[in-house]
Amino acid sequence: MTDSRPVGAEPPQSPLPDPEAPPPIREPGSEPPAFAHASEAELSRILDFYAVRWEYEPHVFPILWNTDGDVLESFAPDFYLPDLDLYVELTTLRQKLVRKKNRKLRRLRELYPDIRIKLFYARDFRALMLKYGRFALAEELSGTPGQVTPDRSYEELVAGRLGSLDEVPATVTPTGPDGGAVIEAGAVQPALTRRRRRRRATVARRPAAPEAAATDR
Amino acid sequence: MKTPTDLHADVAEVLVSEEAIQARVRELGQRISDDYRGRNLTLVSVLKGSLPFMADLMRAIDVPVRIDLMEVSSYGGTATESSGLVRILKDLSASIAGEDVLLVEDIIDTGLTLNYLIRYLRGKNPASLRICTLLDKPARRLVEIPVDYTGFTIEDRFVVGYGLDFGELYRNLRFVGVLRPEVYSGGS
Repeated sequence: MTDSRPVGAEPPQSPLPDPEAPPPIREPGSEPPAFAHASEAELSRILDFYAVRWEYEPHVFPILWNTDGDVLESFAPDFYLPDLDLYVELTTLRQKLVRKKNRKLRRLRELYPDIRIKLFYARDFRALMLKYGRFALAEELSGTPGQVTPDRSYEELVAGRLGSLDEVPATVTPTGPDGGAVIEAGAVQPALTRRRRRRRATVARRPAAPEAAATDR
Repeated sequence: MKTPTDLHADVAEVLVSEEAIQARVRELGQRISDDYRGRNLTLVSVLKGSLPFMADLMRAIDVPVRIDLMEVSSYGGTATESSGLVRILKDLSASIAGEDVLLVEDIIDTGLTLNYLIRYLRGKNPASLRICTLLDKPARRLVEIPVDYTGFTIEDRFVVGYGLDFGELYRNLRFVGVLRPEVYSGGS
């Protein structure tokens, strides 16, 4: 690459953290957030290790509205790195769900062209684990086995077990001996997971100009 | 991981040949010499991966240089570890305050280690701080960092050789190659 800058001149500044930056948002020893997936917990440890500040799902971006203006669909990237002004979304799921997430990501980029987001696919995560010599974890944390079952929503549990909400069983208890759902007879209304409650409580950012769609970057 | 009996047999493909590496290192050395003529240049190598690159690069530079070495711990935490921070395993042996520093890396992928090192080194008040890397893998980048001297931009593949290791092996290959997936797929 060419470099015409004189020696001694500082290169253009990337959004690197200030050496005097405040400590990580999560204080050492404090309880980490309830991650939806073990790969997210692993990435949080990597970011902590390299002293990169992070927030877990701090913002919810509406991406679809009905004609009354009600939000029909939202997207909450997994991590926000404030010093880098970068969102990170981890996708270690199977291909069908990756496609769905890619679609949401395209929509997000169209509606919010100013935000910077990096999508980590399963292969990216495996490569990261390989780099750090975490070979076994690459498989453990990828896809369905990496799901933290107790934090999965009722819908996700059912969809994962049966493949369709049309086949919703009477009761789903997310505490099976194999870490999966136990299907029983009876009728119990599902409760919101902690993650979903938090998402609903989060103040959503509205796009400045939804119609000003950008091309997919 | 079993110790291989034939390093070359584990390499599926030579990505950057020895000849290409040496030619590029000579070019980089010439550019760096031109850019730093008349200045106080210190090359800082990050162990262990950049050792062969550093050794060749410093000999391709024809202006006076000081060299120094650093080593930082790499992430290897387990799921049961709740915290941990990167540690400086080997610090600089001399002050770089007021010096023009060129950080020599073997490969930049996520940029996390480099991001940490830049912050650390800037705190030591060098006159300037620039980055030189043999390999750049931008597809993996998490932290965007301007790189001043790049040997080769490579695609997103797991590479070994010319300092780069897998399980501390393959560093002594004279080229950069892609490891056969079966070599690491069953490792632990």
